[in-house]
Amino acid sequence: MKTYEVFLKREGKDPFTHAGSFDAPDEEMALIYARETYGRRGEGEQMWVVPRTAVLSANEKELAMADRDHKHNDGLRVAELRRISTGEES
Amino acid sequence: MRAWRDMDEFEGFLDAGGVVEPNDEMPEPYRQAVFRFIELHANSEYMGGLTERDWIPKAPGLHRKLTALAKTQDEIGHAHLLYMVAADLGIKTREEMMVDLLEGRTHFHNVFHYRVHSWTDQIAVAYLVDAAALASQQAVFKNCSYGPYKRILRRVIAEEGFHMRNGEEMMLLMAHGSNTQHEMMQESIDRWWLPAVQLFGPDSRPNDELLRWHVKSERNEDLRDRYVQKFVPQLLACGFTIPDPGLEKDQTDGKWKISPIDWEPLKQTMRNGGPDSARRISDARNAWNNAAWVRDALTNQPAST
Ligand SMILES: [Fe+2]
Ligand SMILES: [Fe+2]
Repeated sequence: MKTYEVFLKREGKDPFTHAGSFDAPDEEMALIYARETYGRRGEGEQMWVVPRTAVLSANEKELAMADRDHKHNDGLRVAELRRISTGEES
Repeated sequence: MRAWRDMDEFEGFLDAGGVVEPNDEMPEPYRQAVFRFIELHANSEYMGGLTERDWIPKAPGLHRKLTALAKTQDEIGHAHLLYMVAADLGIKTREEMMVDLLEGRTHFHNVFHYRVHSWTDQIAVAYLVDAAALASQQAVFKNCSYGPYKRILRRVIAEEGFHMRNGEEMMLLMAHGSNTQHEMMQESIDRWWLPAVQLFGPDSRPNDELLRWHVKSERNEDLRDRYVQKFVPQLLACGFTIPDPGLEKDQTDGKWKISPIDWEPLKQTMRNGGPDSARRISDARNAWNNAAWVRDALTNQPAST
């Protein structure tokens, strides 16, 4: 038995999302199990079934480190400068 | 993968709304407690699914047979999903959990230790028991600190809603049907009311670790009380009586008060010593053994010709 991960995509613009996992002996059965376990009430229009071993997990610390202040702008400074430029500051 | 220095730091993380994932280095007591809770839930879904299956051939008419079939698939499916989530905690494999259940070494909810006598019993199970199970699952889903369990409960809960609505529909048909139907439904309510109320368990201990670790988010007694407040008026409105001579409406707060509960029957079911426990477990064991050839066929490579 091999563990598979299932991803479903609804009709429209939603991205694929993880639905869950299950065990199956081979690819043919994996597709049947995936449909019967996660997609039997129109939960998705498209389905990806991926062997768990094929999923590479990113290092969470490095992932967190990739996020830096200079990649965001919270707009506070913009608001302040707008006030100054329109002469609202007394 | 995250790790915590000690239990205090971990509990601080949980109190702040932190969500634990399977690859985190969670403290062992948390891993064990979450595992036991999910295993009990999975076992209960499985045992419930098997009873459901018994009623597919006996359900009246094609439509009811089809809904019984769909419900059976849902319940076995819930067990399947939950066993996967439990197995990922790395304590037991799915097969080990199954064998422990069939050998009577682990447990399942009290309501599946009683015999389902009639079609109206089956309706009472759908209306009263699925609703009680749904209420306790919702209380876990709301704020569960173990991520995979919370995510899979979304699906389980949606399907329980379908069972409960079917149950209510059938109950209402019986309530407003012939006298015989009404009487049969009343008999079934008499049999299932107490087990359903007991499903929530005795009052939560003050230091219940599942509450402290934000696995459950509501106390047993609060869930039970909300259930009583919802179902007593519904049943009375349908012309049924509640099998509790001490039941009364409190004049000051207008709330329904039930008699003190004797927990001995619940304790017996938790020792697998309920009225129908032995038959149910051996029936499940037979189903498992009879399907051995299917598992073999699935796992073995086809014989070369
Ligand atoms: Fe279920
Ligand atoms: Fe159900």
